[in-house]
Amino acid sequence: MIKQVFSRSALFLRIVFLVSVFLILVIGGFTYRHISNLTNSTKQVVSTYKVNVELEQVISYLKDAENGHRNYILTKDTSHLEPYLSAREKVNESFAELKEIASHSEAQEGNLKTLSKYIDALFKNFTQTNAFVENGLTLTEEFKSNFFEEKIIMDSIRQKINEMIALENKLLKERQKQYQSNLQFTPLFLYLLLLFTLVLIIISYNRISNDFKNIKLFNNQLSIFKEATIQLETIGKHGNWVWHLDTNTFVFSDNLYQVLGEKPGGFNPTLENLIAFVHPDDKQKFATEMDKMMKVEDLPFIYFRIIKRDGTVRYIKGYGKLLVNGDGDKRIIGNITDISDEIENYLQLEERNLELEKNNAELSEFNYVASHDLQEPLRKIQTFISRLEEKEAKNFSSSGLQYLERINVSATRMRLLIDDLLQFSRTNKPDKEFVLTNLNELLENAKQDVAETITDKEALIRNDELPILSVIPFQIHQLFLNLLSNSLKYSKKDVAPIIKIAYSKINSKDDENLMKVPKRNYHKILFSDNGIGFEQQYADQIFELFNRLHNKQEYSGTGVGLSICKKIVDNHDGFIMAHGEPQLGATFTIYLPE
Amino acid sequence: MPNDYIHIILADDDEDDRLFFSDAFDELNMNTKVNIFNDGVELMDYLNSEASILPNVLFLDLNMPKKSGIECLNEIKANSNMADIAIAIYSTSASEEDIEETFVLGANIYIKKPSSFKQLKKVLSEVVSMNWQYHTNGLNKDNFLMRL
Repeated sequence: MIKQVFSRSALFLRIVFLVSVFLILVIGGFTYRHISNLTNSTKQVVSTYKVNVELEQVISYLKDAENGHRNYILTKDTSHLEPYLSAREKVNESFAELKEIASHSEAQEGNLKTLSKYIDALFKNFTQTNAFVENGLTLTEEFKSNFFEEKIIMDSIRQKINEMIALENKLLKERQKQYQSNLQFTPLFLYLLLLFTLVLIIISYNRISNDFKNIKLFNNQLSIFKEATIQLETIGKHGNWVWHLDTNTFVFSDNLYQVLGEKPGGFNPTLENLIAFVHPDDKQKFATEMDKMMKVEDLPFIYFRIIKRDGTVRYIKGYGKLLVNGDGDKRIIGNITDISDEIENYLQLEERNLELEKNNAELSEFNYVASHDLQEPLRKIQTFISRLEEKEAKNFSSSGLQYLERINVSATRMRLLIDDLLQFSRTNKPDKEFVLTNLNELLENAKQDVAETITDKEALIRNDELPILSVIPFQIHQLFLNLLSNSLKYSKKDVAPIIKIAYSKINSKDDENLMKVPKRNYHKILFSDNGIGFEQQYADQIFELFNRLHNKQEYSGTGVGLSICKKIVDNHDGFIMAHGEPQLGATFTIYLPE
Repeated sequence: MPNDYIHIILADDDEDDRLFFSDAFDELNMNTKVNIFNDGVELMDYLNSEASILPNVLFLDLNMPKKSGIECLNEIKANSNMADIAIAIYSTSASEEDIEETFVLGANIYIKKPSSFKQLKKVLSEVVSMNWQYHTNGLNKDNFLMRL
């Protein structure tokens, strides 16, 4: 997410930068053009004034020349010719200047040429007139006409110059007008452009400062994360290493050194120095795995042992993965963990498991002994008793027969005990296979098993339709059988037993018996009878092994049957509860999880 | 039936059980001839000898020294000459494992030794007079163990 935010921001800033640079260039261009326009226009004004000034000067020089010339004619004093002579030179100078300045307009150049002709003609006339004066022919007709011609030329010059000044003013006005239209909008445009650029720069500044804030925040998080990682490494006995493949350099985390039993930075972080810690028997394997790590992207964990400087051997689990970053730098980033404690625990556990297995085997052995070897002599005792009773009964006294009977009862009871114990230990067996089973069938089978007693006692069994559940079939069969037997056994002597089996599906939150159990759906099966019942205070005791509420002369029983029931229900993660009322009956409630 | 009597063999290492067994047949008064062997080795020696008369029903104890009932059962089932012998397992225990194993190996019925002589006689007479053809065809795990 961080990466995304910043890459988007970087793109934005780059675009803003480019646009700003472009805009500044545009502003520069426009400004340059604007200023050069202004300069041009100033130059033109200056040149127009210069032209006009020069033209005025020309005319004033000419007037001077004319005046001097006239004075000379009147006085015949040659000193009056001086201004006339200098006027000629000055006019020439002005003309040279004018030619340079007026070069911008063809019309003006033409005018200038015409003017020059007029002036040449004027001076030619002056010279002729002067010749008349020198020779004293001032009153001749020729002189008069010449003098008159002078006046005409002078008028023409004046007119021409006026014309030229007018033209120059007109030109100036035209150009000014043209520039004016150019210059009028430029400042506003530049100003707007500048404003826009400013806005862009402000946005960028805002963005940059925002990014900066974010970077600070991320940096902060990163440093917290880094600190947490360091702590994690210490707690978990982890070490982190980075292998820069391009430069073949390593970076080891501080805790990696500590895992190896060294001070942080205690040795140069190189592969050789790391391998030096690896147990000699694991070195080959370690090197092979490191090689693989470079080629394969993803590797399973590697396991090896290290020997610390103090000689202790530790078990290490390692993992590494090749990472190529955006710039194409290849790095393997890896972690190692000291798993010696785990291994130790595992070994201990294994040892205990072995012990348990041995114990279990002994128990099975005992089971076998109980089922076979103990039953065998007992069965023979019973068979011999039955032989005695049949064949030798007439040889016994009545008390002898009674003793024989007592022996038989004891032997029968012992057999019952052994059978029940076997049954109880069998419910312990680990090979419990859950099979989807129709509980109705199991109940029917259980009824079959006690069919004889049912008939004898004229018992009535009514049951709801039971569900199909995933159970250990023979155990649930045993459970039903034991509960039925229990109800039949503890029935009232003169009342036919009625056993009701009710079924419902409930949620533990709705059942008062399951208040302390996490919410879950349960199958609830209720066995209730009209037997002798029991005091509610014994409700828990009756599930204990060998616990009996009645003496065995009244009711035969070993005190194992209900313990088996409890065990079976436990095996199914269920609950069994008893509720009794003396002389009214007992109810056993079974909850099996859905 | 080639003989006019039913030929019965018991292999059992327990002296008392052998006594009960032969006493029971004595009292039953059925038309039977009973041969008794003390262990698996004796039994198999007899069955494998050429002079032997193969029994109609063989009662086989499981827990015997030298050669157990399971081993005997294996050998008999591997021998096609003995395919017609009906095999009744005759054992003190009736553990699930034993019942399962002998059923899979092909025994015909599993008898748990009863604890009274009266019942013993009843069981033996039932087994001997059983229609084996019929029983074997409908054999399944439920009726394999003989209910007393």
